[in-house]
Amino acid sequence: MHSAIEFKGGESMPDSGASRSATRWLIGTVAAVALLAAVVATALVYMGSFDVAADKPHSEPVFWLMNTVRDRSVAIRAAGIAVPGDFADAKRIASGAAQYDEMCSLCHLAPGMKRTETSRGLYPRAPELRRKSDLTPAQQFWVVKHGLKMTGMPAWGVTHDDKLLWDIVAFLRKLPELSSSEYQAIVRSSPKTHEEMMEDMNMDNRP
Amino acid sequence: MRKWIFSKLVVGSLVLTGAFLGGAAAHEGHQMKCDETAMNAMHADIQAMDDGEAKTTATGEMKMAEEMMAKKDMKACATHMHNATEAIEK
Repeated sequence: MHSAIEFKGGESMPDSGASRSATRWLIGTVAAVALLAAVVATALVYMGSFDVAADKPHSEPVFWLMNTVRDRSVAIRAAGIAVPGDFADAKRIASGAAQYDEMCSLCHLAPGMKRTETSRGLYPRAPELRRKSDLTPAQQFWVVKHGLKMTGMPAWGVTHDDKLLWDIVAFLRKLPELSSSEYQAIVRSSPKTHEEMMEDMNMDNRP
Repeated sequence: MRKWIFSKLVVGSLVLTGAFLGGAAAHEGHQMKCDETAMNAMHADIQAMDDGEAKTTATGEMKMAEEMMAKKDMKACATHMHNATEAIEK
């Protein structure tokens, strides 16, 4: 009986044993590497190895990684947002202009405006929105509403309703076409000041 | 009385001169210098630029500024930093 078992399994047993051994070795190696990586990462964190100073730029690979993470995150999350069709409405653009001037221009600047102390000190630099943007309206809305971690970009959706935020996006689409005097004129043409808009706002409609 | 007016004028002039010099010094402190902090700020500005002629110019000027800084030629370094800034703000 004993020899029959040996005979039956004679050809497969050595292979099966080697396979189990190889699997055990692989799992052990992966676990050891993962443990080592965790120990090294923990040590680097507690040694303060990563410089969080805003006046020391990321290396190019880290900068690329951060940008790619941000761009993909925004693109995926903004994909399902329905965009209003009245971006060309002059009142909507003027309303957005007043808000932009009050809330955004300190960091993102405006036509004819020199760089500010804030814009020069932020890292990563806030994009100058008078230049052409690669973002779609839905992506701009998402960024304005939710903000961006570790960039200084606030989540304006906490304090502003969607209608006001879409007004800002409508203005952002127009902004790259504006000269300095046109920008000033459009800000002045706003039917209400930012404060008045905030008072009128109905945050119960916030999704 | 004359002495009193004269002394007031002298004191007033000193205060005005001091304020002017202080303001000038403060403004000078606001300018970009050729040091590590300014270089890092310039790198951050260039990182944020879209690809194009302005970015190429700024990058080239920045490299020349770094070379001049390595050679301790701070005047030439400052000139290239200024050129890089102009390209960034274009």
